[in-house]
Amino acid sequence: MTAALEVRDLRFRYADGAEALRGVSFSVAGGESVGLIGPNGAGKSTLLLHLNGILPESHDGLGAVRVEGVPLAPDNLPDVRRRVGLLFQDANDQLFCPTVFEDVAFGPRQLGLDDAEVSLRVAEALAQAGLTGLERRAPHHLSGGEKRRACLAGVLACRPSVLVLDEPTASLDPRGRRELKELLRRIPLTKLIATHDLELVVELCSRVIVLDAGRIVAEGATRELLCDEELMLRHGLERPHILRHAHPH
Amino acid sequence: MRADFLDRHSRLDSPIHRLPAGVKLIAAVTLATAAVAIPRSQALWLAVLSAPPLIVAAVSRVPWKFLAGRMLLLEPLVIAMAALLLLQPDGGRAFLFLLARTSLCLFTMILLAGTTPFDDLLQVLRKLRVPALLVTTLALMYRYLFVLIDESQRMKRARMSRTFVNRRTRSWRVSATIIGLLFLRASERAERIYDAMCARGWR
Repeated sequence: MTAALEVRDLRFRYADGAEALRGVSFSVAGGESVGLIGPNGAGKSTLLLHLNGILPESHDGLGAVRVEGVPLAPDNLPDVRRRVGLLFQDANDQLFCPTVFEDVAFGPRQLGLDDAEVSLRVAEALAQAGLTGLERRAPHHLSGGEKRRACLAGVLACRPSVLVLDEPTASLDPRGRRELKELLRRIPLTKLIATHDLELVVELCSRVIVLDAGRIVAEGATRELLCDEELMLRHGLERPHILRHAHPH
Repeated sequence: MRADFLDRHSRLDSPIHRLPAGVKLIAAVTLATAAVAIPRSQALWLAVLSAPPLIVAAVSRVPWKFLAGRMLLLEPLVIAMAALLLLQPDGGRAFLFLLARTSLCLFTMILLAGTTPFDDLLQVLRKLRVPALLVTTLALMYRYLFVLIDESQRMKRARMSRTFVNRRTRSWRVSATIIGLLFLRASERAERIYDAMCARGWR
């Protein structure tokens, strides 16, 4: 079976010379939920931007990433971007339209769908994200949790097969966090979640990848890996509280 | 800053608010064009033209105080431009005429913004086949103006909370730094927004 996402020896250096990724390889199977953890500056966001070809800007070495077996190439980027839905770290960057409806409709419109189909997809995505009724709302009048779910609706409206999430629960209050977590749990797509929220990883992901200084330093079953106190501390992480008193199996 | 300072009151409910945005936009532009077309010898017509916007304002229930505040905010620009006419011989009448004419246009546009949500106006522009790039630029401006204002306010507060002396030259220098930083952050954000647009299929 071909992997939903496959990355082979991915390297990336920013224009200022900083080496962000130094040979990253991993794969995510269809339907799997994988957590991507690591300290600040490990290269998590940079890695995620490669998964639908936003980086590298020069398009050199796009082929290091394969989506459902097909290597990325300049001419299949539009299709790849539809299939790999990317949720950005800052909701304000992602909600760039004057109203929630317009924003969620952005992706479907780019796909060239007609108005009826666009409205249908928007209604469906908003219902999935629990935002029905907020179509006319301006993004700056949404709460933090609503903003995040509106971003997710915008991604879901493109009907992706893989969801790639960058810090989905950052700066959410506990309720917003809980709602988002339940929402993600209900979405039956392949997921790769980069986050510092280790409890989220425990609850949603069966497997984790630890990234530090542009390299994968550990990979394995969530509970086993997160209970390895020494490994966690070495890479700026910690054993999450919900695993404190549980025995690793 | 209230997040809706651009088109506050535009979501009230009144017969005017319920009119289609296209009708209001075309009426406002027609009125402004007419006001500009009136020759100076027919100055009385200006008074006639100012009746419709005043009636519309009354029916729309947009507070007079709000409309007057907006006028006061923008009028200095108009006066500064018109004042150039005072340098001409017999410029007084020309000055007054220009002032009246421009104020009428200004009032009409303020009223339009006060009775029509900005995103409805954008939809109309799109339907009228205004170039898509221009409409997109306007939409992005409307969206990010608030983010930018919030950001500058946060930076200002952060500065104030660590400012213990009040020396003007220093505060100017700090302001310059903040403006520079704001510009930098805005351009970085613009890049991230572009990435987010690409991620959802923008070409």
